[in-house]
Amino acid sequence: MDTFIILVQIAIGAALINNFVLHYFVGICPFLGVSRRIDTAFGMGCAVTFVISIAALLSWTFTYFILRPDAPLPAWVWRTAGGDPGTTIDLSVLSYIMYIFVIASSVQFVEMYVRKFFPPLYKSFGVFLPLITTNCAILFACLEIMKHLQDPTKLWGLHEALTLAVGGGVGFTIAITLMAGIREELEMCDVPKPLAGAGISLITAGILAMAFMGFTGVDKGIQRTLEVWFK
Amino acid sequence: MIAAILSADTVTVLLAAAVLALLAICMAWVLGWANRRFRVQVDPKVEILTAVLPGANCGGCGFVGCGEYAEAVARGEADVTLCAPGGTACAKQLAEIMGVDVEETWPYRAVVHCAAGSGDRLGRFFYEGESTCAAANLVGGVQGCTYGCLGFGDCTRACRYDAIHLVDGLATVDYDKCIGCKACANACPRNIITMVPFKAEQMVVIACSNRDKGPDVKAVCNVGCIGCSGCTRRCEVMAMDGNLPVIDYDRYDESGFATALEKCPRESLTYIGKPTPEDLAAVAGEAVPDRIEADFKTTVDETEWRG
Repeated sequence: MDTFIILVQIAIGAALINNFVLHYFVGICPFLGVSRRIDTAFGMGCAVTFVISIAALLSWTFTYFILRPDAPLPAWVWRTAGGDPGTTIDLSVLSYIMYIFVIASSVQFVEMYVRKFFPPLYKSFGVFLPLITTNCAILFACLEIMKHLQDPTKLWGLHEALTLAVGGGVGFTIAITLMAGIREELEMCDVPKPLAGAGISLITAGILAMAFMGFTGVDKGIQRTLEVWFK
Repeated sequence: MIAAILSADTVTVLLAAAVLALLAICMAWVLGWANRRFRVQVDPKVEILTAVLPGANCGGCGFVGCGEYAEAVARGEADVTLCAPGGTACAKQLAEIMGVDVEETWPYRAVVHCAAGSGDRLGRFFYEGESTCAAANLVGGVQGCTYGCLGFGDCTRACRYDAIHLVDGLATVDYDKCIGCKACANACPRNIITMVPFKAEQMVVIACSNRDKGPDVKAVCNVGCIGCSGCTRRCEVMAMDGNLPVIDYDRYDESGFATALEKCPRESLTYIGKPTPEDLAAVAGEAVPDRIEADFKTTVDETEWRG
């Protein structure tokens, strides 16, 4: 049951408390660029969630077996080559290039997939689908996973990594859909000229971020409730 | 063993290169497979057509963007001559790709069929409503002429190319910038902006839309057409439509207008278009300030508060 509680905590933490967009300020470009209409915003959120899950799956695999300090693959190669067991081979310098590589490939894959099976969604995305490639929210998720694979005593399993990714993706979807809803209403409003356009969008995003600060501490409460439940 | 020859650092570098190369091969293989598996059949013509179009996505053709227009052309549903920014050259290329013949097309440009500056409009009243033409047009009696330019600049706001401005209260097209996207014509609530095929840099147009009889026009405007039909008698490509002459631009021939232009008693029959070399020469001597000094008056100082 402990595992379950941890997973819930990771998911709630990634989706609401430490929302990627509104707490860490990553993934701002699609957040502002595709949040004009609710349906495209929701589609973008789903695409990011999908890509982030694939990227997390791949990056956890690569990090766990190849990139982390005590990874099995380099160690095996080093042993086979007859190296001194005392020294380790650390490939973690490759993490950024590897993650970008993985993200770019999976975005390309998703783009082909969406183009084939959801042409209207593909059209409404326009240039923003390739932009997911440079979406820092996804790179951020990969780096967060890498951070939890550094300490050999408490390594994250694949389930934890995937929970973080899906939670983060859901959080991104929540944030961008909320933003799109507000911006649709804003279209009808008489915004003062100097604030119109990007200005009011950024102010809205800021207020939204402040509102999300209200979730701080929710994870502790959920943890206590669950512990009582499962006792 | 290998480890005896190579240090741990060298092995790290080699291993890094090997891992990346392997990853690259795997990804390339997966994406190549996906590319075949998820291939979408696109009419190759659409891609070529899209490449030929200007890509301004102005919407002047009536489609959402250049891509949609290209698809419509490829399906044979749209004419190849609809692209105003691309003009004749673009239409020719489109026709060549589609294998159809194209007659010579001319760039269509916006023409404001009104010549009355604020001083020429009679019977104008103080209007305190929302300052848009669309709103003012709903109110009777903003100005005497119910046909002419209202001068609240709906067209200026509609233009995405900074090509139409209010000069002395009259919408005036900057033909160096106009691409003929028709946005201003759609925005004008009085429909006094039409698209005219510019067969020359300077075109003769009828700069009035008033269809009332002469005395009524004189009562509301200093320059409007009084419908004397003098021009139609002197020029064969012109004809009267009620009290307003129209020019048949299909048979447009500049030489025929000379006497008609001369004899027009008002300023309604006139040349518009890009400035001629003579016009430019006339203002060439005037000094243009290198740098415009700001005067530190706030905009509020002279603002007339409305509503």
